[in-house]
Amino acid sequence: MNPTKPGGAAIQVEGIRKTFADKKHGSRTAVDGLTFEVYSGEIFGLLGPNGAGKTTALRVLATLLKPTSGTAILNGFDIVKNPSEVRGSIGFLSGDMGLYGRLTPREVLRFFADLNRLPDAAARVEQTIVKFGLTSFAESKIDKFSTGMKQKVAIARAMLCDPPILILDEPTSGLDVPAARAIEDSILEARNRGKCVVFSMHVMEEAEYLCDRIAVINDGKIRMIGTMDQLRAATGKLRLREIFLDLLGLAENRN
Amino acid sequence: MRFDILKTIYIKEMLDQLRDRRALLSMIIIPLIAIPALMVGMGFVISKVQKNAEDEAKTLGIGLKISSPEIRQAIEKAGLKIVDKPDLKEAVEKKELAAAVEEIDNPGGVPQIVYYVDQSSPTSETAGDLLRAILSDYRDSSIRRRLRDQNVPEAILTPFSLKRVNVAPERKMAGAMWGTMLGYILLLLMFTGGMYPAIDMTAGEKERKTLELYLSSPAHRSEIVLGKILAAMTAIFITAMLTLASMVFSIRNGGLAGKNKEMQQMLKTIPLDGHAIGLIVLTMLPLALLAASIMIAIAILARSFKEGQTYLTPLALIVIFPALIGGMPGLQFTPTMALIPIFNASQVIRSTLLGDLTATNFLITTFANIVYAAAAFYFASRRFEDETVLFRT
Repeated sequence: MNPTKPGGAAIQVEGIRKTFADKKHGSRTAVDGLTFEVYSGEIFGLLGPNGAGKTTALRVLATLLKPTSGTAILNGFDIVKNPSEVRGSIGFLSGDMGLYGRLTPREVLRFFADLNRLPDAAARVEQTIVKFGLTSFAESKIDKFSTGMKQKVAIARAMLCDPPILILDEPTSGLDVPAARAIEDSILEARNRGKCVVFSMHVMEEAEYLCDRIAVINDGKIRMIGTMDQLRAATGKLRLREIFLDLLGLAENRN
Repeated sequence: MRFDILKTIYIKEMLDQLRDRRALLSMIIIPLIAIPALMVGMGFVISKVQKNAEDEAKTLGIGLKISSPEIRQAIEKAGLKIVDKPDLKEAVEKKELAAAVEEIDNPGGVPQIVYYVDQSSPTSETAGDLLRAILSDYRDSSIRRRLRDQNVPEAILTPFSLKRVNVAPERKMAGAMWGTMLGYILLLLMFTGGMYPAIDMTAGEKERKTLELYLSSPAHRSEIVLGKILAAMTAIFITAMLTLASMVFSIRNGGLAGKNKEMQQMLKTIPLDGHAIGLIVLTMLPLALLAASIMIAIAILARSFKEGQTYLTPLALIVIFPALIGGMPGLQFTPTMALIPIFNASQVIRSTLLGDLTATNFLITTFANIVYAAAAFYFASRRFEDETVLFRT
């Protein structure tokens, strides 16, 4: 892992807490005081088991959810005060892809280009279609696509507006190795063009391959932040799985 | 509110809906094909049943145990066949006879003639009607003969003549009937026509995981909800207009009347001119907005398409009741009633066809429905601001 030289904090997260009201259990804190920074030209991974609060944290950053307390600044905009501007600065993608099955890739891209008020929307859509290799199926309805084709469209959509920040929620979950690799390549390419990438995952191998820095998160709290080497040194373990379990505090007290 | 964003959302929602088979079915196919088919089919079945009953009444036969040869002659003259059966009552019950006439001994009293009819059978009813006419004619002619025999003038039986005049013109009767039916079908189809698009645009987006991306775009939530409501309103309004068009076509061409000439004549008296249709269309507009806002507000609570259907189906049933009550005879459409949503619209439609719609009632109805639509719109917008609604798990 080669830590890249940070180009300035694109994301500053300050003590984000998110509590959900729960009828059965009173209330549930999904994210409990997260604080971290992510720089331009950096890939930052949120690593944690299911239910650790990764999705909630990313949804708060993408302004889909309002934080109960704390805030974050993305590309200079406050998620609480300027949510619309924040959304204009990010590309968001989740493992579910979220594509309109009855529309064609060209229509989906045009829709999101117009929502982002791109000045040269038509031209940008065409460039994106060529760049992401969608030309041969740009006119077909997405419902009929294979998972791999859908994934291409989903990435194209997230990167369409060339946002400075990419927020990706388990973008490779449910994909086979070649499709996952296509996503990983796009993430690396975006980083090399100076983008700030935050993404969540629950597989250590992926973190090692992609991330410049990793935040290990469990029960809504950050257990440790650092490069892969720093995580290794801190735990004194070599195998990825052991490092992960150790950081989660699960290595000793497994039942 | 940015109009270019709103337009983008509206166009996308319409495109998405127009490619949805389920939405097209309830929006276009049902009003355009099912309604006229139902109308014509109903008219056809009614006149067919009537025709069959008439034919069968003549061929099945009438049982007769009577001394008077005149009655026998009259029955044969009416084209009815006379069939012998030992037990007439039982034979009618078993449908071996269309009807039967029997003279019963009544010692000390006047002779009694009984005719047996099975009221549950249209054939027997038709035969019974014919028998009744024949027998009362026979009674009248017997009376006249007796008077003649006694040298009493026939006029003694008629101190005055009685005539019932129905002051409701034909158009009014047809208007009351069709106004109720039109209002009922229009309202029902508006709600069923809007249901699929409303669920698809809300719970459907949640289920397909597209809502998250929508919400992570720079569009404001108020723009998203307004764009969706306008698209649902368009779908509802298209359904209403197509229903209206096919109902008007059915009425004009006497679909329901079948081959019944009187009914056809009556239907032609309904003043379905541009003015009446214009009033109905104007009433539908705020109602479509109201229906769209209510349905979007409710459907966004659901997590899946199925759950959305569970929430919205009862709504379509609830709508039937005000429309049904509105058809009760003797109900006066007052300005106070014009404040009741949905009910007021069904009353405006009925009054329009009756030709007694007042400007006050029309304006109150339209204004009230605009206010209700605005309230429902506000309610729907609030649902879209509520993250516990948008991200229910």
